[in-house]
Amino acid sequence: MIAFILRKLATLAPTFLGITLIAFALIHAIPGDPVEVMVGEHMLDPVAHQEALHRLGLDLPLPVQYGHYLLQLLHGNLGDSLATHEPIWNDFLARFPATIELSLVAIVLAVLVGIPMGVIAAIKRGSLVDRAAMGLALTGYSMPIFWWGLMLIKVFSVQLGWTPVSGRIGIEFDIDPHTGFMLIDVLMAPDKGAFCSAVLHLVLPGIVLATVPMAVIARMTRSSMLEVLREDYIRAARARGLSPFRVVIVHGLRNALLPVITVIGLQTGSLLAGAVLTETVFAWPGIGKWLVDAILNRDYPVAQAGILIVATVIVAVNFLVDVLYGVVNPRLRGGAA
Amino acid sequence: MTTDMRLNADIAPPSPLRSAWLAFAANKGALAALIVFAVMVVAALGASLFAPHDPVEQARDHLLTPPAWDAAGIRAYLLGTDELGRDLVSRLLYGGRISLGIAFASVLLSTLPGTALGLIAAFFPRAIGTAIMRLMDLMLALPGLLLALCVVAILGPGLFNTVIAIAISTLPNYTRLVRAATLAEIPREYVTASRVAGAGPLRLMFLTVLPNCMAPLIVQSTLGFSSAIIQTAALGFLGLGVQPPMPEWGTMLASARAYTDSAPWVVTVPGLTILITVLAVNLIGDGLRDALDPKLKQA
Repeated sequence: MIAFILRKLATLAPTFLGITLIAFALIHAIPGDPVEVMVGEHMLDPVAHQEALHRLGLDLPLPVQYGHYLLQLLHGNLGDSLATHEPIWNDFLARFPATIELSLVAIVLAVLVGIPMGVIAAIKRGSLVDRAAMGLALTGYSMPIFWWGLMLIKVFSVQLGWTPVSGRIGIEFDIDPHTGFMLIDVLMAPDKGAFCSAVLHLVLPGIVLATVPMAVIARMTRSSMLEVLREDYIRAARARGLSPFRVVIVHGLRNALLPVITVIGLQTGSLLAGAVLTETVFAWPGIGKWLVDAILNRDYPVAQAGILIVATVIVAVNFLVDVLYGVVNPRLRGGAA
Repeated sequence: MTTDMRLNADIAPPSPLRSAWLAFAANKGALAALIVFAVMVVAALGASLFAPHDPVEQARDHLLTPPAWDAAGIRAYLLGTDELGRDLVSRLLYGGRISLGIAFASVLLSTLPGTALGLIAAFFPRAIGTAIMRLMDLMLALPGLLLALCVVAILGPGLFNTVIAIAISTLPNYTRLVRAATLAEIPREYVTASRVAGAGPLRLMFLTVLPNCMAPLIVQSTLGFSSAIIQTAALGFLGLGVQPPMPEWGTMLASARAYTDSAPWVVTVPGLTILITVLAVNLIGDGLRDALDPKLKQA
């Protein structure tokens, strides 16, 4: 097992290096004068220009610059934002919990709806229920989620007034960001209404972000269940007179879940991509909106750091899923994995 | 004489293309989706013929006119007008050209190099293949929209940059797919036979092996087409794709957002168009997969 983890870790190192290389190249691939881009000032006189180049270390050979960049990264220094002049790392830490919270809610929602949907569709294969469920899943899979979010806001927030339009909590509540996770922070607040407000703020963005993963999970669960239900051990279980529920859930679903778990793990990337859109629609103060704003405002150090961080998170989660998968399925620990 | 020929035709198995078509056409949903999609393509291609107005012409005295079936609607603007008094029908038609055109161009620009790289990676698995696949793994660390955002951050927004961003972000999918399919074909006897007969690597790659990897490739590029439509619209919506006043569907949504409450049609109509188009292409993709690739069939 330890050898398996070490082997996986070894493949991780070049990937991380590659990601830093891409992030490093990002700044240098931008057309135009790097000083103008980085300092945000135009038409500097040649002396000041030279000074700025030197101050930013941009007059050194590229490999040396890359070395400096890596060294800074190892010290946890991502540079400063051009817009706020704050260290990027602080901005990131302030926003990351919001994205994790939203993504966790979405993936839990997607699993809670997607798996039962896939199981029922597989049991009732070919029936109206199956077709309705799969039609729904395909629609969810095809959904432009930014538009879906606008529609949900229009119906549930504006017309029915059930949910708030945007943000994480009502403005009347003053919540100290102890952990950054609103659902935890509001528990420490004296006002019990704060918790309800935080939950209500999560409902629509959660649904929007859950839509595509839910569809993927439902489709995967159905096809995996159909495969498992054909196995001999299912027939054997039925022949032994076990209740249909026991056959389907204990014997069927448990064995069908393995590919489904992989698919759930692989959703990290699409969740973060979806978070970019969901956070923009709901003005959710997470890293997705942060990244888009940085690109729109040409805040290149933030864009660079944002892309570096997001890629790192995705690679790290995929690594964890791989390891967990090796724990669940010992057959994968062999040399091929 | 004629009867003989008909008899022979009955006995001979249908050509692969025909049998694939028969299998596809048996799927009613996929067939309906194909018709819907064909209508959309024709409408987009003939936008200049069908559009009742110029897509950027602003009717200043008809700002935010509701659709024609509404009491306040005008017949001249079937689906109403947007915040600048531009006809929605015309914008959707011309927008179809842009959205479908970007999707088509980006699929072409990612399948062609993707296929070539996949074939090379499979035929030269040692140094070149490993290098190619490592690079692809790296690109997959940033999936879909995020990699596209990364490219846009460098190149800046715009129509051509959207094509390039989407093409780059989907390239690894095709490379991995073609490599896997090719690796499965290389040990087969017909490939060995061709090699023994003196076929060079180029001939082996493109004429011997590639035709036998087409089924999954066609399915993947159909699904790639639908995700390219969504990505284009998403980039447009974020303000990082096609720029206004060009009537791209996602860009239309971005500028109409502020009017969701007062003029719901400016948001509903472009969004529904995206959803219907993507749904149709995905249905076609599912149908193609079942027809071309029975192994992948979802029971």
